[in-house]
Formats: sequence, C-alpha cells, structure tokens
Amino acid sequence: MIDQNTALKLQAYVDGELPSGDVRQAAELLEKDPEAKLLFEELKASKSLLAGNELELQVPESREFYWSKIAREIARQESRPARESAGVRAWWLRLVAPAGAVAVLALVVSIALKSTSLPVRSWVALSDEHEIDTPLEETSSITFRSEAAGMTVVWVNSQPN
Amino acid sequence: MKKLPPLSYAILPAAVFGAILVTFAGAGAGDLNLQAKLIWGTNGGKPNDPSLKEVDPKTAEKLAGVFRWKSYYEVSRTNFTVAAATTKTVRMSPKCDVKVNNQGKSQLEVELYGKGKMVVRKRQQLALGELLVLAGDDKNDTAWFVIMNLNDR
Repeated sequence: MIDQNTALKLQAYVDGELPSGDVRQAAELLEKDPEAKLLFEELKASKSLLAGNELELQVPESREFYWSKIAREIARQESRPARESAGVRAWWLRLVAPAGAVAVLALVVSIALKSTSLPVRSWVALSDEHEIDTPLEETSSITFRSEAAGMTVVWVNSQPN
Repeated sequence: MKKLPPLSYAILPAAVFGAILVTFAGAGAGDLNLQAKLIWGTNGGKPNDPSLKEVDPKTAEKLAGVFRWKSYYEVSRTNFTVAAATTKTVRMSPKCDVKVNNQGKSQLEVELYGKGKMVVRKRQQLALGELLVLAGDDKNDTAWFVIMNLNDR
C-alpha cells in the first residue's frame, strides 16, 4: 500500500518537480515496487491525457483588453471595503454633523456669554427644535435658558456676506 | 359722631366696586402687557448718537452679568398690550420690527424682523420677571439685543 507521501513524490516525479536528491530514490522505488510502478504509469498517462486534450479557449477580445478587464475587477473588489467604510463614515457624519454645528454655536455663545455673576454652567442649551425658527438660510440660532437668571436667550448667528 | 346720609351707604360700595372693575377692565382677561427694548452692546466708547441712552441699572446688571460687552445703550423702549389671540407689530427702529402673537396662558410667539425680513421666530411662555432676549452680533464687535418682558404696570 503506497502512502500519501510516496504518492505525492511520484506525482512530483512525473511533473519533473522532484528535487534531484529524491529522484534516485524514486527511480529505485519504481524498480522494486510494482504497485508504485503502476501508480507512476497511471499518473504519467493522466498527465499526457490532460496535456494532449486541454481545451484552448478563444477569447473574443484582445489580450490587453481581456487582462485589463480582470485588472479592473480586481481593483474594484479591493476598493469595495474602502468605499463601504466611506459609506459608514458618511452615515456617521450625517448623524454627527448637526450635533457638531450645535456644538460650534454653543462654543460661540459660550464665548459671548461671560462667566462672572452668571456662570455659563447654569445655562442650558436648548435644541433648535425648541419652538424656534430661523427662516433665513444664512442665519442659524441657538437657545439658552437659565432658570436662575430667569432669562431665555436666543442667539442669532449671521454668516458674514 | 356725625351720621352719613342714607344714600352714602349705597354709593360707597358702588364706588369701590367700580374702581375695582375699572382697574381690571383696563387689561382684559388674557391680554399681555409687554415691554420691548432694543439695546446695542459695544466694547468701544460712548457713541455720538444723542438718542442713545445708557440702559437702566437693572437691565445693565443682567446683561453685563451674561454677555461680554462692556457698555449697553438703549435704542428704544416700547410698552404695549397684545389682546388674547391677536398679533401686534411694534417698530423698535427703522430696521427692526417685532411682531408678537398672544397665544394665551402667557404663551407668546415673537417674530423678529430685520430690514423687513424675518430673522427669527420664537415661541415662549413668559412669566412675570422673566426676560426673553433675542440677540446677535454685529459689525465692529458690537451686538444687538431685543429684550421682552411682561410689564407689571
């Protein structure tokens, strides 16, 4: 019974890929072992059969165009994860952008507000949906409320023209 | 002790009742007595415009405690009444108008107009002593403030 390792060596011998040091051993094995000889002949026949009957595909396009299509497909597959992460990032940005805008406005108002007698900490920023509209495109607003001061401030931020 | 004429017993309570009636009839139920002030804040010196006067100490204290501008000048001040479920427009300056809609239960909707365009609309429930401040920065490191409050007159 021929083990798998010997069978692989015989396959390599048929393919001419056996290291030179193992070629001698393989030749001796074929002389001594009829089963190994039989397998070698089968592998050799299979190799000649495949090589002799291999179908030759004719591609109806030029060689350069054919391989450029493959190259493009590989590039497309490689860029897909990057695009997906960009999509995730865009979704993330869409979610965070309004909050960022509010944060920037809050920063502007924080600078405008002094923290002396009425600490900024005591002011609560209300969302833009808090019963307020700024219809002009170039303006935005942010509302702050301080219960302690009894004051509601609507700060209108106008973009410079 | 001198006795009052009999007719006085009827006239006196009627006069007291009439006085009460007149007092409360002046402001109808649900009317909003409001005061609006247009104020200009600056870090520079006192402007040359003689029509500008320094804000009253109470308002100055409130503004100085909150905003970063050093000086505040009153451009105009208007007391007005908005009847229930009605709208009133008040001119604060040639460039600034305020439209107030009384929505009942001290709820008001304020629209601020600058140069004829609506800048901001705000709905707010205003209690006595509370301030609604609509504000924004202007050129040369100045700012404008429209302050509204219930008038306790």
